[in-house]
Amino acid sequence: MDSTELDKVTRRVRLHYEWARVKRALLGILPLVVVVCAASVLGRHHSATEAFGALAVVVGAAMFWYGRDPQRAVLPGVLAGFVPLVLALCTSHMAGCSGDGCMTMCVPACSAGGVIAGLAVASVGNRRRAGAVFWLSASSLALLTGAMGCACVGYAGVVGLGVGFAAGVVPGLLRRAFA
Amino acid sequence: MQHEDEIEALLARLADGDRSVFSAVFKRLWVPMNRFCMSMLKHEADAADAAQQAMTKIFERASDYDPKRPAMPWALAIAAWECRTLQRKRFRRRESPEDSAAEPADERAESDLIRRDLTQAALAAMSELPEIDRETLLATFLDEATSVDGATLRKRRERAIDRLRTSFRRLYGLD
Repeated sequence: MDSTELDKVTRRVRLHYEWARVKRALLGILPLVVVVCAASVLGRHHSATEAFGALAVVVGAAMFWYGRDPQRAVLPGVLAGFVPLVLALCTSHMAGCSGDGCMTMCVPACSAGGVIAGLAVASVGNRRRAGAVFWLSASSLALLTGAMGCACVGYAGVVGLGVGFAAGVVPGLLRRAFA
Repeated sequence: MQHEDEIEALLARLADGDRSVFSAVFKRLWVPMNRFCMSMLKHEADAADAAQQAMTKIFERASDYDPKRPAMPWALAIAAWECRTLQRKRFRRRESPEDSAAEPADERAESDLIRRDLTQAALAAMSELPEIDRETLLATFLDEATSVDGATLRKRRERAIDRLRTSFRRLYGLD
């Protein structure tokens, strides 16, 4: 077989390898699709939930397909993001009322969930002695997953989630950086 | 042995998504797969087709490769399956190879190594079977008399082959 023919075979084999990884990624991300559907049904702001959910699925699938650290970050990221998501969905219909008026519990729940998610990502990242790519991948997926629920009171919930997440993850990140 | 360890390490990296080792894995597998298919099919064009098909399947399944399993028997099992598929197709079309090539002496040594790897793979699969299945299979293979015969032996043999197939599939992903 001449080199041109061999190059053709190599390219074809590479294409099959990538396509197999794409199929695997799509299969692997299916549970997150189920979570997005459930969040969309239970959430109050469907369009925002679906937008964040779609983004989370695309990013997660891309991380699965790429492999290495991003692939290893998918499960911790989604599980960490699950905490603010569930808290936000549970509290989105609750309101805390005091003498001055009522306020939704969504923002505090998102902030608290964000802190827990941040701590979870930091804990996994430190335990695995993971690199920057893992931290970035897990954080982005945790934030996107959590944001599906935290869009309950508009973008204030998402900001609350982000602040909480930063508060949770930064100490762990600093410990990793100076270890 | 070092060559096999190297392939195992490279395949594990490819399974993890490290594309930088793609060419290295391809180069290390291409020649053994071609020689193995040639030794099985004894027909140059068919062997080339089967080897290409085998390489495609190997890389399709590379992401599922389990680093705890030996790489070469796994790859050769896929190639053997492709050769068998091609042989079956050829048999159905009642085709026979026209230009069978004689196996050169230096390639015979490599074919022997490949056969040894396949035998090891089969033995590994057999070692997971219960004692009675192993005895039945060995007696069948060596054409020896067993303590039972007739319908009982036939049933035992069927069960043993089924279990061997399951074990092989679990270890190497196909039968």
